[in-house]
Amino acid sequence: MAIFEPDGTVHHLGLKKGDVGRYVLLPGDPGRVEVIARRFDNPGFVAQKREYTTWVGELDGVPVACTSTGIGCPSTAIAAEELHAIGADTFIRVGTSGGMQPGMQTGDLAVISGAIRDEGTSSHYLPMEFPAVADLDVVLAMRDAARERNVRHRVGVAQSKDSFYGEVEPERMPISEDLARRWKAWIGGGAISSEMESATLFIVSATLRARAGGIMVCIGSPSMTHEESQASMKGFSIDPVIDTAVHGLRMLIARDRAAGA
Amino acid sequence: MAATESDGRKHHIGIKQGEVGRYVLLPGDPDRVEVIASRFDNPKFVMRRREYTTWTGELDGVPVACTSTGIGCPSTAIAVEELADVGVDTFIRVGTSGSMQQHIKPGSIGVVSGAIRDEGTSRHYLPMEFPAVADLDITLALREAAKESGFPWYVGIAQSKDSFYGQHNPERMPIAEDLQRRWKAWMAGGAICSEMEAATLYIVAATLRVRAGGAMLILGNPDQRPMTEAEIAECSVDRVIDTSIAGLRKLIAADRAAGRIK
Repeated sequence: MAIFEPDGTVHHLGLKKGDVGRYVLLPGDPGRVEVIARRFDNPGFVAQKREYTTWVGELDGVPVACTSTGIGCPSTAIAAEELHAIGADTFIRVGTSGGMQPGMQTGDLAVISGAIRDEGTSSHYLPMEFPAVADLDVVLAMRDAARERNVRHRVGVAQSKDSFYGEVEPERMPISEDLARRWKAWIGGGAISSEMESATLFIVSATLRARAGGIMVCIGSPSMTHEESQASMKGFSIDPVIDTAVHGLRMLIARDRAAGA
Repeated sequence: MAATESDGRKHHIGIKQGEVGRYVLLPGDPDRVEVIASRFDNPKFVMRRREYTTWTGELDGVPVACTSTGIGCPSTAIAVEELADVGVDTFIRVGTSGSMQQHIKPGSIGVVSGAIRDEGTSRHYLPMEFPAVADLDITLALREAAKESGFPWYVGIAQSKDSFYGQHNPERMPIAEDLQRRWKAWMAGGAICSEMEAATLYIVAATLRVRAGGAMLILGNPDQRPMTEAEIAECSVDRVIDTSIAGLRKLIAADRAAGRIK
């Protein structure tokens, strides 16, 4: 299967060379793409196929895009591969996640420096010993953006899981004891955020020599009861993480420009 | 809590609380410790037990130390556990490594942002899915120092292996094909250098909530071709020692600016 269709579009995303620049924000939810792209200058819809919706625009005169990955690593790998094939080389995941360290609050941002490969896609690329690590400059830009915007944040490792309900309702799974034991290990290792796409994004990017990173808003924490977690959602907004990601992308673009990249 | 003798000294490294500060440079080779510590102000020998030699000193008025780990992840995990137990919270590995990319020439400096867990120790701490990632601030400080060094430098992933000769002479190992297949995968993933301690250092540090990073001098060639005399002439270990010291000074300055030094 070639990536490109005879009409020059990539197989799953419906995009062609020239549609996007090198910088792409990657939410999971197609419904969130327009919300993000409205922060760009001259936002415009480009394509929608399956779970992949793409809008483009500009930041500080540079073309940027936003494409949804859908939920999970299998569809994320396809998005990263096809976006790279049409010229993107910088991927920034933005979305929601579960807080994993005691003391975290709903609304805290997690700048993702690495990811636990608790998923099935990245092992089709590299053996499990290979670490899923974010690009240093993307991480730095996101941390600086969170600092400048004065949002509570941490830098750290995300758990990238394949099963949403295996995380939130592990007790009803036949392998509940394994899930609980591993969850405890991830927290023991200091993981800060549980989500579903970063590990594969980072590993696929490593093989493509593209840059990838991510910033997530966290909901709940292990020290909250279910009721406390629910209550903490009062007044929750996705806006701070989007605004911080866009601000961080502006900083990255400025630094790339200064470096002559 | 790492094992402690009746005199307060940690079981393997022979160091007790108060003898070292929070910053430690970690070479593999015990004989390299004095060479590194001679760059400190007021360098002083503290202890030698097994492969663990420790010197201390100061940089910009702050206590720093250098402890050898010995070769490999098993002895490195012990060094990190016992040093953390006497107050160390910042570990910077410094040493030599093998090139894993054709374009990375002998004499380059590799700042190790993450490590391939191709070793047996770190899985005693965390399942293999967990990434061995360096601390962001250490990596940034070492990158700045590498930039200023004037030598070619790279930031990226190291392969941390348990078998030195499995890398250098894979063809004579019974599992030759596996070794070669995996080596090719690590290269395709963009790994920059091959060494023997970083993965466990980073994973143990993660579980202890301490900071770890590393800078390596990169030697050799990814196809195991012997270095030419001209290439060997580029490979002074002083490059990476000076870079790691410069990076540690930057980290100390950043910590001070952030109010993290009393």
